[in-house]
Amino acid sequence: MTYAARRLLLAVPLLFGMSLLIFGLMRLVPGDPAVVVLGFKATPEGVKALREAFHLDEPVVAQYLRWLAGVVRGDFGLDFRQNEPIGRMILDRLPVTIELTLLASLTAAVVGVPLGLLGGGRRGGAADRAALAVGLVGVSIPDFWLGIMLILSLSLWAGLFPSAGFVPLGEAPLENLLSLALPALTLAVSRAAVLGRLTRAAVLDVVHRPFVQYARAKGLGEGAILFRHVLPNAAIPVVTVLGLQIGYMLGGAIVVEMIFTLPGVGRMTLDAVLERNYPVVQSTVLVIGAMFMFVNLITDLLYGAIDPRVRRQ
Amino acid sequence: MALLARSATSFGARGVTLTRMTRGRMALVGLAVVLALAVAALAAPSLPLGSPTAIGKDLALRAPTAAEPFGMDDLGRSVLSRVVHAYRISLAVAVGSVLLALVIGGCLGLVAGYAEGLPDQLIMRPLDVLMAFPAILLAIALMSVFGTGALLVSVALAVVYTPVVARVVRASVLATKIEVYVDGARALGATVPRVVLTHILPNAATPVLVQASVLMAIAILIEAALSFLGVGVRPPTPSLGLMLADGRGFMLQAPWMVVFPGVAIMLAVLGFNMLADGLRDWLDPQRARPGA
Repeated sequence: MTYAARRLLLAVPLLFGMSLLIFGLMRLVPGDPAVVVLGFKATPEGVKALREAFHLDEPVVAQYLRWLAGVVRGDFGLDFRQNEPIGRMILDRLPVTIELTLLASLTAAVVGVPLGLLGGGRRGGAADRAALAVGLVGVSIPDFWLGIMLILSLSLWAGLFPSAGFVPLGEAPLENLLSLALPALTLAVSRAAVLGRLTRAAVLDVVHRPFVQYARAKGLGEGAILFRHVLPNAAIPVVTVLGLQIGYMLGGAIVVEMIFTLPGVGRMTLDAVLERNYPVVQSTVLVIGAMFMFVNLITDLLYGAIDPRVRRQ
Repeated sequence: MALLARSATSFGARGVTLTRMTRGRMALVGLAVVLALAVAALAAPSLPLGSPTAIGKDLALRAPTAAEPFGMDDLGRSVLSRVVHAYRISLAVAVGSVLLALVIGGCLGLVAGYAEGLPDQLIMRPLDVLMAFPAILLAIALMSVFGTGALLVSVALAVVYTPVVARVVRASVLATKIEVYVDGARALGATVPRVVLTHILPNAATPVLVQASVLMAIAILIEAALSFLGVGVRPPTPSLGLMLADGRGFMLQAPWMVVFPGVAIMLAVLGFNMLADGLRDWLDPQRARPGA
């Protein structure tokens, strides 16, 4: 079986396990879920309607299978508070989260990889020390605090960016970018630092390998050595970590969307958690988890494409 | 491109020694930061700081002074005193969650790595599921079910960390158990517990120690994030994340309410990260490589 097919097949039990875990977790909520979901607005009729709608009187296994069957068809059920299909709500909010994550990944890669090349190219030099220090501080900055500081300095004091709110891409592309600039930067800084640290380590790992010395011995220019021999080999761990960072940002988006009041899936999850709206929590956690898993899967596949050795394992 | 040539040729003894020394110093600086914060946190009640919870309405939002270098919050509480007391929660959660994960994840990883086969699958596949979620998302989901409070944050983080520790320990056990000296011990009639405890497990200590230091840093970040989002530590317990959440509403009038708690989080995280980086190179120069 090919490497790609094997990796894809492994994703199926993992997704199944994830759905089982989330479903089980939400059943551990103390008390009657119907009463908890409805909160202070709970009336006997409301509780009864909700119990029926969620089939809470059926055995747990039947409830799970029913939910799973719906999820597979893209039907996540109805949000009782908004009276709106949860699947629809997620679809509406997903583009915001995806755009934010992509912008942040791009920023992290554009900043982080050259930072690592700069440091790794001259180990122990001034640039390397500076890159190391920047990387260490970067990974230690809490992103929610960075977001607050950016709002305070660049929006409230300098007035350069909007401090909150979101403009859809289709409506006004420029305003859209402006509204996402600070959130994307907030998410990107710590990930750029991680990428920089890793790129540096990867370059250092490769520059003194025998094949690099051989390339130099046969008279190849330093440019050709860097781009033809060092970078392709250093790229393998870098691509992996970039993939992991994109996944990480899906989690980080929860905090960032909250700080910048962006209408994404992350904030939807957090709002649902705070309102104890468990059917929504269950759905969004599964969707974000599945996206995280797929990003990791694609990373693995790319890894196999770049490095033929991986495919043979 | 001359950069590259220089690094490759001068990569010899001087470069390595220099880096090794820098790293050794880094571990020490990290350790010093962590110890200083831990001592301050432990001694917080007996330090001349004033109460972290006493409300002084006439002092509300007062700017930093010589006596109160971090200023006062919206309820007239000392931000410095609250930061130092908040470290107690931060560090307690970090230590508690990492210890719990070390014990549970360590046992699971040990059994999985030593037994292999079916037990390995039964232990590691469910842990893969836990790792298939972004850490912060899993922590939020756990907190949403079980409620708030410092103890629950520690437990939630321990759940998030257990698979990480199990993987590190398992990898180390798998690599060690095929060593000749392990076979030798077995041939000499050593029992399984003896082989595992005295010959295999100690080899896991180095990667686990480095990992634990990284996890402590992440625990401080996640505890602060959870508390900031309202699903972590409960007020009025001083927590760095809660302080940031409170300060957000006053950031224009009283920027010190958001600046100092954030710097405090960063300092602790930086300390543990420096310690981890330094330890990694110092204990295991061979492994001081990407991905670790």
